[in-house]
Amino acid sequence: MDERLLLVEDDPSIREIAKLGLTNAGFNVTTASDGREGLLHFHQTPFDLVVLDVMLPVLDGYEVCRQIRAESRVPVIMLSAKSDTVDVVVGLELGADDYVTKPFEMPELVARARAAIRRATAGDEEPVLVRGDLEIDPGAFIARKGGEEIGLTATEFKLLLELARRPGQVFTRDLLLQRVWNYEYLGDSRLVDVAVQRLRSKVEDDPKEPKLIKTVRGVGYRFDTG
Amino acid sequence: MLAFMLVAGLSAAILAASSYLIVREARLSDSVDRALEQSRFNLVLAGEVLDDHPTTAQTNELLDAYERRGTFAVVGRTDARTFSSSLSLAPAQVPEDLKQLVAEGQLAYEREEIGGVPYLVVGGRVPSSNTELYYFYSEERLWDELAQLRNILLYVLGAVILLGGLIGALLARRMLRPVAQASVAAHSLAEGLLDTRLPVESEDEFGAWAASFNEMAEALEAKITALSEAQARERRFTSDVSHELRTPLTALVAEASLLAEHLDRIPEEARRPAELLVNDVARLRDLVEDLMEISRLDAGEARVREEPVDIGSLVATAVRSRRWDDRVSVDRDEVVVSTDPRRLERIVANLVGNALEHAGRDVAVRVGQDGLGAFVEVTDTGPGIPPDRLPHVFDRFYKADSSRAGPGSGLGLAIALENARLLGGDLAVWSEVGRGTRFTLRLPVT
Repeated sequence: MDERLLLVEDDPSIREIAKLGLTNAGFNVTTASDGREGLLHFHQTPFDLVVLDVMLPVLDGYEVCRQIRAESRVPVIMLSAKSDTVDVVVGLELGADDYVTKPFEMPELVARARAAIRRATAGDEEPVLVRGDLEIDPGAFIARKGGEEIGLTATEFKLLLELARRPGQVFTRDLLLQRVWNYEYLGDSRLVDVAVQRLRSKVEDDPKEPKLIKTVRGVGYRFDTG
Repeated sequence: MLAFMLVAGLSAAILAASSYLIVREARLSDSVDRALEQSRFNLVLAGEVLDDHPTTAQTNELLDAYERRGTFAVVGRTDARTFSSSLSLAPAQVPEDLKQLVAEGQLAYEREEIGGVPYLVVGGRVPSSNTELYYFYSEERLWDELAQLRNILLYVLGAVILLGGLIGALLARRMLRPVAQASVAAHSLAEGLLDTRLPVESEDEFGAWAASFNEMAEALEAKITALSEAQARERRFTSDVSHELRTPLTALVAEASLLAEHLDRIPEEARRPAELLVNDVARLRDLVEDLMEISRLDAGEARVREEPVDIGSLVATAVRSRRWDDRVSVDRDEVVVSTDPRRLERIVANLVGNALEHAGRDVAVRVGQDGLGAFVEVTDTGPGIPPDRLPHVFDRFYKADSSRAGPGSGLGLAIALENARLLGGDLAVWSEVGRGTRFTLRLPVT
């Protein structure tokens, strides 16, 4: 494994130990200590994963995430201060794939980082799925709607693929966390909810009246073809 | 005010009634005097017209003469014959006792109502004639006037009573206004409007009293402001401290977790201290996280995100994910409520973790629903909590076994209780020394 990872964190101690832990785990880690420096690195070299603190000097983590998302589908993990406030949801809505709450243990961060990269790597040689006007190509990691490519992040693509593979089946949030995020118990159902919202805004004709990805109240989600 | 109206009304009524009676008496006796005087003159006049035994011509002449004088009617009786100046009046209508008195030769009078008209009837014998004459003076006007006077007095009385009441009310209000104001002020003070003050308007007792009330309110306001400022400072301090601690703690936790992975490669003599370090960092982490959570709860920043939750499967998952399955049994019905799953998970993990800490094993969790709503019971067979300590188990930093040796922060149950209340539920504890402890979480079913 030699995935390139960009770590943006302002506290020197946390930066150093996280870099050490991630390097030990086999990542090729580049660090930055504020948002602007992070974006500079991001524009210079391609990365396989970005780990981004929310509270950063100069440019905060949300802004960095937004700018990265505007031009790339690279997986982003946010390092968030608290788990039960809006911070998490805001980060996810801006396109982060996952979040890790401070304080964290290195094995957890490493596990999340690996899972995020695994999501972003192309699946096996599966045939192209066609659902209504949607075309999902697992090999090329590309989805098209009415012939036009839709810009999905790796996580959104995996989520769409998982749901579209079995139309009509109800997926609980826990099941989606396991299948898409590769988490057993670790995950937070908000990951699923926010990712579904973002996915709907890209694939549905009217995201407020979804025809493809239906909510099954109190249970989870189901893919229909209208 | 009512008393004032009563006094005013009563005195006005007495005044009115007595003046009416005096006027009535005066008018009635005046009427009698005039009637008697006129009757004497009429009798003398009759004596000049009538003979001893008058003829019809004589009596007719008399009636003509009387008619010219006007104002009265007359009925007469001479020997066996009667005559009258009016078609509606006859000797039969003369009261008997009056006839009696006249027969005895007296000039007498009596009041009699005939055909709806009040008359003063005066009777007498004509001098030197065998004739009795009865004069009917109408007192209709007099009685009308008296009735009018009575009505006027009644109207005036009513007006006096109303006016008295009005004046009384105004006076009473003016006198009692400070009292009413004080009552309102005391109420609003009690409701927490600490800047309530009374106007000091007069130099009298009320003024002095208002001034002392204001002094008291001022002292109260100052005291309470100071107290709540102190409390807010304390809470802000807790919140600031835990926030400031988080950055170094994050570094510590990450460092310790790396250290833990490599404990076996650390030289023998440094291994134990490294192990202790790793454990203590975990303890510190728990403490700071609990502190942050409780300061969020105190600050009212805690958010509730409700969704339909099957409590039974949430409990089972919480137990399984912490690898407690071997020491914790879960007996569950399917109970679906609308609640915040993260907070519920936190409460359950707290209660079960607490039970395991005290009992070590054999913790039983039961999930069900009864008439009061949904419940989660966490029962252990640990040493139990003595009755004097039981009421304090939800206090912050209170540990039932005073040795303070347990791994918990001392905030776990306090946080569980706050979260339970945030979800609209409650948390109760039952315990018996030697038998065990049971915590019951109750949640509303919506």
